Amino acid sequence: MLNLNEVWNWLTDPANWAGRYGLSNLLVEHLSMTFTALVLSAIIAIPLGIVLGHFNRGGALIIGISSASRAIPTMGLLFALVLLLSVNFRQEATQIALMAIAIPPMLAGTYSGIDSVPRVIRQSAVAQGMTARQQIWHVELPIAAASLIGGVRLGFIQVVSTVVIAPLVGLGGLGFGVVQGLALRDFNQLSGSALLIVILTVSGDRLFALAQAIASLRLKKTKRTAQR
Amino acid sequence: MNWFFNNFEFIAELTRTHLFISLVPSVIGATLAIIAARLIPQKYAGPVAGLMATIYAIPSLALFVALPAILGTPFIGPTNVLIALTIYFFSSMFFSARDAFSQVPDSALSFSEAQGFNKLQRFALVELPLAMPGLIAGLRVAVASTISMASIGAVVGVRNLGYLFLDGFQRKISEEIVAGLISIALLALAFDLGLWVLGRAISPWKVSERKNA
Repeated sequence: MLNLNEVWNWLTDPANWAGRYGLSNLLVEHLSMTFTALVLSAIIAIPLGIVLGHFNRGGALIIGISSASRAIPTMGLLFALVLLLSVNFRQEATQIALMAIAIPPMLAGTYSGIDSVPRVIRQSAVAQGMTARQQIWHVELPIAAASLIGGVRLGFIQVVSTVVIAPLVGLGGLGFGVVQGLALRDFNQLSGSALLIVILTVSGDRLFALAQAIASLRLKKTKRTAQR
Repeated sequence: MNWFFNNFEFIAELTRTHLFISLVPSVIGATLAIIAARLIPQKYAGPVAGLMATIYAIPSLALFVALPAILGTPFIGPTNVLIALTIYFFSSMFFSARDAFSQVPDSALSFSEAQGFNKLQRFALVELPLAMPGLIAGLRVAVASTISMASIGAVVGVRNLGYLFLDGFQRKISEEIVAGLISIALLALAFDLGLWVLGRAISPWKVSERKNA
């Protein structure tokens, strides 16, 4: 059995936080890889999902792609892309792989959120004389918000699980400690890095869950005021 | 494609390990999730679902190597992968199983009570068959992601189809990686198709409903 004290000592040793492959640097790399992929994917997926949802187009295809994307082994996709673009472009290849797995759930979440807006509500928005832009901003997006955030949350989960294996193609991030710990049989480094990854991912996921809860709470409040 | 056929024996061997490492967790995870979804009372369902969602977010490689610190299992080898994949399967299936059981019409439950069924009979003869379409849908999602996630087990020394990715990348043989992607896709597709056929076979009323509609 592994001594948790030793893992704790490893994690709190300042020497392990300094330098190129120190935890501080790896943490920053981990976060920046994750955020870049999420932001780039959101810029593509969310507007596309909104437009397709608004005009009610391509739903079956989006849902199909999104469920099929869960079956793609991300490690194989990542390695294939790095070999395809050559190892010199491994950073770009990794971003493309991350986006390829983050876009489908984001697109599906946005689309099904917009698509779930009841017909009556859509028609009354039109009857009010709202422009398409107003319908999207003031009617469809608030109703779709929880589902949209849910899609981003799924994308986040997929991205972090792949960022962890990025060291296998020579990039950094907290997975580095896992990969090196396995290779060197340094189980303190291995468990310490795994622990950090778990804490980081769980906090991220909780933040998305909170945002989702706030979005659906706001919608409920509006509904209650409307019923009065 | 040549690489695929020249190394067919090797791929078949890796496939056998891959099947073992993904199907054992699927069977255990599905059984436990269906039982838990039915047994856990409504008031605890929310927190349990939240916990499951959180566990599902943990990257698989991190969970594979974090388990030994918690359970005392060896770092390398299939044990952690089997346990971790069971946990993921359970957390994914728990949601769909709860949904599936909540779709069972209340009238069917009242009828079964009026027939004098006991709880076990009601579960096995009424709830389980009526929840089956939802359960199959949940199984299809969970099995597909388990088969793809199992490949990461290769990093901790499980020689399954994921090994083709590691080996292909190290030796710069892109055909090997493509062979791995195709094999895993075929495997996932085969199980998806199998579950779909099974679903139609055990809930024939769904098929006739669709025809009548």
